[in-house]
Amino acid sequence: MQHAMSKIEEKRMSMIKTENIHKYFGENHVLNGIDLEIFPGEVMCVVGPSGSGKSTLLRCLNHLERITSGKIFIDGVLVDHRENDKDVLKSDPKKVAEMCAELGMVFQRFNLFPHKTALENVMIGPMTVKKVGKADAQKKAMELLEKVGIAEKANEYPSRLSGGQQQRVAIARALAMEPKIMLFDEPTSALDPELVGEVLEVMKQLAHAGMTMMVVTHEMGFAREVGTRLIFMDEGKIVEQGTPREVFENPQNDRTKDFFRSIL
Amino acid sequence: MTAMQARGFFDGTIVTIELTLISIALGLIFGMLLALARISKNKVVRGITWTYVWIFRGTPLMLQLIIVYFAIPLMANSITGSYINVSMFGAAVIGLTLNTAAYLAEIFRAGILSIDKGQMEAAKALGMTYKQAMLKIIIPQTYRRVIPPFANEFIMILKDTSLVIVIGLAELTRVSKQFAASGEWKFYFVAGAIYLFLTTISTFVFDKMEKHAARYE
Repeated sequence: MQHAMSKIEEKRMSMIKTENIHKYFGENHVLNGIDLEIFPGEVMCVVGPSGSGKSTLLRCLNHLERITSGKIFIDGVLVDHRENDKDVLKSDPKKVAEMCAELGMVFQRFNLFPHKTALENVMIGPMTVKKVGKADAQKKAMELLEKVGIAEKANEYPSRLSGGQQQRVAIARALAMEPKIMLFDEPTSALDPELVGEVLEVMKQLAHAGMTMMVVTHEMGFAREVGTRLIFMDEGKIVEQGTPREVFENPQNDRTKDFFRSIL
Repeated sequence: MTAMQARGFFDGTIVTIELTLISIALGLIFGMLLALARISKNKVVRGITWTYVWIFRGTPLMLQLIIVYFAIPLMANSITGSYINVSMFGAAVIGLTLNTAAYLAEIFRAGILSIDKGQMEAAKALGMTYKQAMLKIIIPQTYRRVIPPFANEFIMILKDTSLVIVIGLAELTRVSKQFAASGEWKFYFVAGAIYLFLTTISTFVFDKMEKHAARYE
């Protein structure tokens, strides 16, 4: 009985939880009280007009931007607590780095390391951060490149790859750290239209394999098909959320309605 | 040219090469540390390094050499009452190193700042610390961009070693001046040819390095 209880508790424990996150860039109130919970296996899609704070929210989660105030829990552990741009929770930089590694990040502009081959891009995280040996790192990296369908380009430098290929390498690079959750910051926005499909396909595979994902995207088709939850943001607030079907078919908020009308 | 004079030129050339290589090597390390300090978050650290660069780029190298060799021992004497003994070669290396480090710091700083911000973000997202990201990701990418201005500074220092003539060290220029003192003006041109030979080789080597560093683009 007790065992069963703890199983349920475990299942309910969120991977990421935020409490009342605020972020200012100068006078600009970019995030205005975000409360969010993401549970294991969820594919949460975040949509909204540009400047609504979607990317900033994602970047705050892994410390690329620091929140002005609020709390962030990862796996139930308080990892960030700030008030008035000052740390309430003091944590040493090593711990922060470790925590960041639990959140895999895929960027709009790929940000592959240009001086490293595709294979080396995937190897460098585990070798530098987890001190994995070269042979092991290489084996794992090859597996991941196969998984994203780009093993034949393993020894090419990023400058020789198309945008879609670069983004798939970037996904493999993030996966190499065995993250608990993958964050995607408009992963297809910088791609030529004909290359979007190959990246979305890889993301779909990941979702089906049970990866917890948070995806800032303009790809409504992807959100509808793969997303388990959809969040609509506007002016730094979550104005509406639900299953993608609910939000697409029956938006409640006027701003959500306007947004969908303008893009669909 | 007598065997003795040829020997003198050879020794002078060796001193010039040693001065250049040692000062550049030390300046490289010191300059990189200065560059990292210049982009530090700490205002005091930034201020100190800014002042350093300001002073060493804003005053003549020849005066800096004179101060290191002549003024500092006197200053030390009047403060502590005891003499410190710096060799001519040591003083020359110190002066050249301190000077070139200031220039190299600015070169490295510009190189680091020219790397796309996304590179540091990607490294951090993988869980790298600032130090790991700098060493593995950012600094290696600066090589190609830094090689041309670095080559420039190397050649400047190679030629500026002739300024140590003011503290009396027998490097290439001083040797030629000694030999030419008897009216043999040709020796100046011998020195000139040797400098030209050294700078040409340096240019050639740096060109090769630049091409190699650009292989991934």
